[in-house]
Amino acid sequence: MLKLFTDTDTDLDPQLAKQYGYSLISMPYSVEAKTVYPYVDFEEFDSHAFYDMLRGGVLPTTSAISTERYLEYFEPDFKAGNDILYVHFSRAMTNTFDAMDQAIATLKAKYPGVRFEEIDTKGITTISYAIVREVGDLVKAGKSLDEVLEWAKTEVDRFAMYFFADDLKFFRRSGRVSGLAATMGTLIGIRPIIHMSQEGKMVSVGTAKGRAKAMDVLISKIEELGDDIASHRICIGHTDAPEIAKEIGGIIEEKFGKQNIVYVPVNPTAGSHCGPNGVGVCFHAIHR
Amino acid sequence: MIILDAKLYLNLIRGGASSLAAKRQEINDLNVFPIPDGDTGDNMLMTIRAGAKADGNSLSEMASSVSSGMLLGARGNSGVILSRIFAGLAKGFEGLDNADAAAFGKAMKEGVASAYKAVSQPVEGTILTVLREGVAAADGASTIEEYLDLWIAGMDLSLQHTPELLDVLKKAGVVDSGGAGLLTIAEGMRAALRGESPLEEGTEPAQQAAHVDFSAFTEDSVLEFGYCTEFLLRLQRSKVDLDSFDESVISAWLSQQGDSLVFFRDGSIIKVHVHTKDPGAVLTKCREWGEFLTIKVENMTLQHHENHMDRRFKLEKKALGIVAVAAGEGLTSLFREMGADAVIEGGQTMNPSVERFLEAFDQAGADTILVFPNNSNIILTARQAASMYEGSRVEVIPTRTLGEGYFSLANLDPGAPVDESIPLLKEAASSVKTGLVSRAIRDASGYRKGDYLGLSAKDILCGNPSREGAVLDLASCMGAGESDILVIFKGADAPSPEAEALQGQLQKLYPRTEVILLDGGQPVYDYMIVLC
Repeated sequence: MLKLFTDTDTDLDPQLAKQYGYSLISMPYSVEAKTVYPYVDFEEFDSHAFYDMLRGGVLPTTSAISTERYLEYFEPDFKAGNDILYVHFSRAMTNTFDAMDQAIATLKAKYPGVRFEEIDTKGITTISYAIVREVGDLVKAGKSLDEVLEWAKTEVDRFAMYFFADDLKFFRRSGRVSGLAATMGTLIGIRPIIHMSQEGKMVSVGTAKGRAKAMDVLISKIEELGDDIASHRICIGHTDAPEIAKEIGGIIEEKFGKQNIVYVPVNPTAGSHCGPNGVGVCFHAIHR
Repeated sequence: MIILDAKLYLNLIRGGASSLAAKRQEINDLNVFPIPDGDTGDNMLMTIRAGAKADGNSLSEMASSVSSGMLLGARGNSGVILSRIFAGLAKGFEGLDNADAAAFGKAMKEGVASAYKAVSQPVEGTILTVLREGVAAADGASTIEEYLDLWIAGMDLSLQHTPELLDVLKKAGVVDSGGAGLLTIAEGMRAALRGESPLEEGTEPAQQAAHVDFSAFTEDSVLEFGYCTEFLLRLQRSKVDLDSFDESVISAWLSQQGDSLVFFRDGSIIKVHVHTKDPGAVLTKCREWGEFLTIKVENMTLQHHENHMDRRFKLEKKALGIVAVAAGEGLTSLFREMGADAVIEGGQTMNPSVERFLEAFDQAGADTILVFPNNSNIILTARQAASMYEGSRVEVIPTRTLGEGYFSLANLDPGAPVDESIPLLKEAASSVKTGLVSRAIRDASGYRKGDYLGLSAKDILCGNPSREGAVLDLASCMGAGESDILVIFKGADAPSPEAEALQGQLQKLYPRTEVILLDGGQPVYDYMIVLC
């Protein structure tokens, strides 16, 4: 049988994971030298409390997980002889998958013949969430592993995500956004618009002055790139900014008619890199 | 017939300073604004006093010494122009031991030319007009006494006409303050020439008290920067052999104890400046060689440490340095957060001197230094300092308000080539609209004393008995709804709950504009609103 895996960096929570049959790999973050594994060390993610802590000046760090931990996650299914599909966040953003590759090599040697496949969502948080759910839908609808992999070959690049954040010190420190001027972190009210590139990296594609203009840019991206958006979810992710997310959702429906909009709180590990008050929108597009 | 020599010239300058000191408050009060503004009397007085400390044997030397003193001490626009007048005189006296009326008249014409050159767009109806017309009236005088009489009469007449040339003066019902200051100086010079006893000294201008903020180092602070430790050590015969003693023993040891070491020996005195975390160890060790003449130890975490950080002695320079002028704790730290290497305290009622700028350039210690004067009355001083500074390229971004400076600096990408950045910064500054709310100190323009006035670009746009009302009116007059961002800088006297409520109200009124509240802590202006 096919066993699905994803990780907490894709914003999927345990309830939804259970509905789709995903096992969740917990990606940790650290606050003041204490490492926290989402949904292992807590049951429910209190988004407001977490981002308020960041507003208060705390700068969490994130870390990769060990080969040993990957072994613990995957070995039971290798042992049971299940096919495994892991839909994960971007390889281009982390070195954690080096440890996973080692674990998989070990397991493949130990359990030859077990099929292990991956779909790289080439993104993190909301965009990964959208793809993870689409994959889940396909599997639920009875598609085979090969059919899903075939779908992913073309469709992963057809989910576009554009977002902005309030306070760039988080991005600056994490160093994970390219094209961002060195000290733009204090630019008050001026927001770089960032997108997930086809290489699975965060790239700054320009700036917008004021929140209203930044929101306009997100909407204009849907106008420019949107493709068959009505047949897919529009996912609006936010780092504890539900009002702004709702406002964008309202504008989208005003402009494009009733849509299947899902509001997603950004997971704390990804949120550690973008800080509070950020909003992003993911939609089906002609290209990223 | 009186011949002007070095000694008499210095006396004239001192007489001028003395006369101005007696009348400085009157000149401060010639204010076109019904709110506290740049104090012309204070600025000119501090400038001329800086020139009155001169010395020299010939008239040429003395005039040059007066000029360089004023150049360093110049504050405010009127101070800079005053310093340029005397720079022109120094040029006119070049090579002369003394001067007769003709030579004096010629030098005064140099003074006029030099003063006009100090400003890029000379405005008539100001100190420039008063000087020029006074000098024209004195042309052809046969003695120095006659020259001064005619000069003063000409300036007096010209001064009375300044309101006809400048509308702002007419509206405020005052004559030009810089012109009045110059006339007062000229009267003092004449009194000195006549040997009349110097006028009674007026009250001293408010000197900027050394501001030490002890709250910067609390019970829980960690000593990060150490102590700025300075002393003079007198080498003792009982401890060392003075003739053969090699002081590098001391400097070598000191260099292990801290950084920013400045060390030199003059005879038996050693001057030391070092930043160390353990001043006790330094002092104890140095007593092995001598005894102290003076000792000064200061915690560098405290705010005033910037004044003592002498980067002139640091070898490595960074590529880009930033110097800004700001008033208020909040704004000072906001500019620091934005990357300013040195923040000069100053603003509307307190214009920093050229010398203070030069110190700040030293602190910034960079190949290129960008200067944000943040006040229209300070731009000229900044430019003068920039033109005098050697060793670094200094570029003044002519920001007229703190809002312009803040937004302009926010647009700086330190990684970009400076020549590309400068036009962008200037453009960013000029795209900003700044509004100020301050309390009227007298009735004016149909508003009563005590009302809150909303000003922008020196125009009074609105007035309201309530402070919040004035902010809302001002935002509306300035067209807040058309801007993408509105930043409120809360002043020192405005309570936080009021500012937060205003932020909420403005955000509701202008939903398309992002309203941001920052604690500027600035004096005089209870609120500054910046539209960008």
